[in-house]
Amino acid sequence: MHVPHTRERVSVITGLGVVSPLGNSFAEVAGNLLAGRSGVCEVAAASGAREGRQFAAPVTSIPQPAGPGCADFASLGRLEQLCLAPAAAACADAAVAAAVPPERIGIVLGIGAEQLKAWELDFLAGGRCVFEPHRSETLVHRIARRLGIAGPAVAVAAACASSGYAMALGRTWLDAGHVDACLVGGCDILSPTAIAAFYNLRALSRRSDDPHKASRPFDRDRDGFVMAEGGAFFVLERRDAANRRGARVYGELAGVGMSSDAHHMVTPCSDPQEAARAISLALADAGLEPGDVDYINAHAAGTPVGDAAEAGAIRLAFGQAADTIPVSSTKSMSGHLVSGAAAFEAVACLAAMHREAVPPTVNLDSIDPACALDHVPHAARPHRVRVAASNSFGFGGANLCLVIRQAA
Amino acid sequence: MHTLQFQQAAAPACVLESHAIVEVPLSEIRALRDAPSPAGAPALPPRFLRHCDEHTVVGVRAVLEAIAAMPQPVPAFTRYGVIGAPLQAGRITAAQTLSQVAKAGGIAVSPHVVPQCSLHALASAVSVGLGMHGPNLGTSGGPEALSEGLFAAVSLVRSAGCDGLWAVFTEWDEEPVLDDAGAPVNDPLCRAVAVAVRPHTSADVGAVTFALMPADSAVRRDAAAKPTRSPLAAFAWAIGMCAAGGAIASWVHECPWGADIRIAAPAAAAREARPQSTEHVRREAA
Repeated sequence: MHVPHTRERVSVITGLGVVSPLGNSFAEVAGNLLAGRSGVCEVAAASGAREGRQFAAPVTSIPQPAGPGCADFASLGRLEQLCLAPAAAACADAAVAAAVPPERIGIVLGIGAEQLKAWELDFLAGGRCVFEPHRSETLVHRIARRLGIAGPAVAVAAACASSGYAMALGRTWLDAGHVDACLVGGCDILSPTAIAAFYNLRALSRRSDDPHKASRPFDRDRDGFVMAEGGAFFVLERRDAANRRGARVYGELAGVGMSSDAHHMVTPCSDPQEAARAISLALADAGLEPGDVDYINAHAAGTPVGDAAEAGAIRLAFGQAADTIPVSSTKSMSGHLVSGAAAFEAVACLAAMHREAVPPTVNLDSIDPACALDHVPHAARPHRVRVAASNSFGFGGANLCLVIRQAA
Repeated sequence: MHTLQFQQAAAPACVLESHAIVEVPLSEIRALRDAPSPAGAPALPPRFLRHCDEHTVVGVRAVLEAIAAMPQPVPAFTRYGVIGAPLQAGRITAAQTLSQVAKAGGIAVSPHVVPQCSLHALASAVSVGLGMHGPNLGTSGGPEALSEGLFAAVSLVRSAGCDGLWAVFTEWDEEPVLDDAGAPVNDPLCRAVAVAVRPHTSADVGAVTFALMPADSAVRRDAAAKPTRSPLAAFAWAIGMCAAGGAIASWVHECPWGADIRIAAPAAAAREARPQSTEHVRREAA
């Protein structure tokens, strides 16, 4: 059933917007990632927090976007601000509104728990929306209207892989000719209930005495992830159209692979078969062999089971090539952006391509033998990256791999 | 009125393999949670649904009923994907959680809240419970759940690297009314519609088909009347009619972005090349 891409159907990234713990522009994020800076810090303990000291990777400032649809930005809720700012930045960066009619622009927003977060934030502000039988318009339609997008508008959720699934669906629309440009990406927000839920699930690191060291993917002493917020958006267009209008091209979304473990609603699957299949599907979609990949941005969030399972999937999918392909987890610096993670990590892959260096896994002091790969601990490694693979995995067994190729 | 320009307008994207419509009062979901499988359907792992949201329980039941309704031997769904499109799932649990957190703090938050009440949960439960290894994802969550879920399903069915897709839609007939502790004080119906679809081929004759089409402005001009029921209820009616030997010829769901999704019964599918406007049965007429 799988249809490989023809040369004419190549999807390229012509616009990029990011709001994250590591900065709010491509240049700032790339600089911080390659410098090995962490966005993790101590945060004010929310009401009802389980521990006195809380740490996370927050967005410290959200830039006000330009444009008529954003004039009331300051009055919007934080979740909408976190989505709208990078979405508007990506559209402005691509100058897509001047080049493509509104009805030919689509939007796919990856967001895993929009309503849970909206109800919670309203409740904490004294509201009662969660108790009331009211059905309100969702974020993707509000953002589409604000940005003048009149094509298909869909929100998708695949837990921690949500924004990657958004990129995959938008690319499908471009391939099918449903749209000429598509705004894709996702974001998430720190919320007290989500932090408590993940804490009670024992998924979060409890290294509260040293927050900067808490996010340590692939390390022998890892004990969970660090929650973060923010996200990233991209404008995707077909390469021929982008070239015709002289658009800047950041890179090509060359391949997508998706699969499900069908194992458990919460626990990662220790059998790497399906995660490896997603990687192999993405490589096949891009028409590449494992040895063609120059960098793997791992999902690795720092959980004991998940990191080891992913290392197994990488070894299974890449075979011997895994011995020499640099692997890093940028969550060691950014924390886990949850719904926004896959899109943010696509930004990290583009940073590696543009700066010709692989961002490090910080805090990787002692590599877990169960996670043996060609790791890049502590400091960036100079390396030409023409092709990057980025993994994302989520609750419910959702597996995703994106292959991003340097612009031709 | 903006109109999408589809490269292969009116060409069927996929065919219906099976469907089921389930409506369960909130008061009966507890029993369904413990015994979800109808006769002839595969068994789920023991106590699989015990932490699931109400939408998931009813949605999974709809999938099981659709499987039970298929002729034997039932195909393996190992390489199927799942799209779940619940409308406001998780509100009862969220209300109860927030109410408890206000009194007891973070310790009151169940670790199941995020994995079982987020938008992906319905699709994941179908994937995990029934061993489907294609992609599983949630869509929408809001009032446009039917449009978003159908559009995603029809556009992904050929490109997701799987043999077919289950698309599962759920909603409350009327939203639950909750007291201050998050306990429901009414007994609304939870409605689920599950459809299994696979890519259309030229060999498919006599099948119910789904197609993406540019918006039909003639239909829209006539569609001034307010729908008498929810889009999902109308979809449930239409899919049943189309599947029941062509009781209606076709039905069109209008997406809010200038696209129509046309479901055609076998008789209409055979005339797919020249669809007639009189074949359209609008939601309003449903």
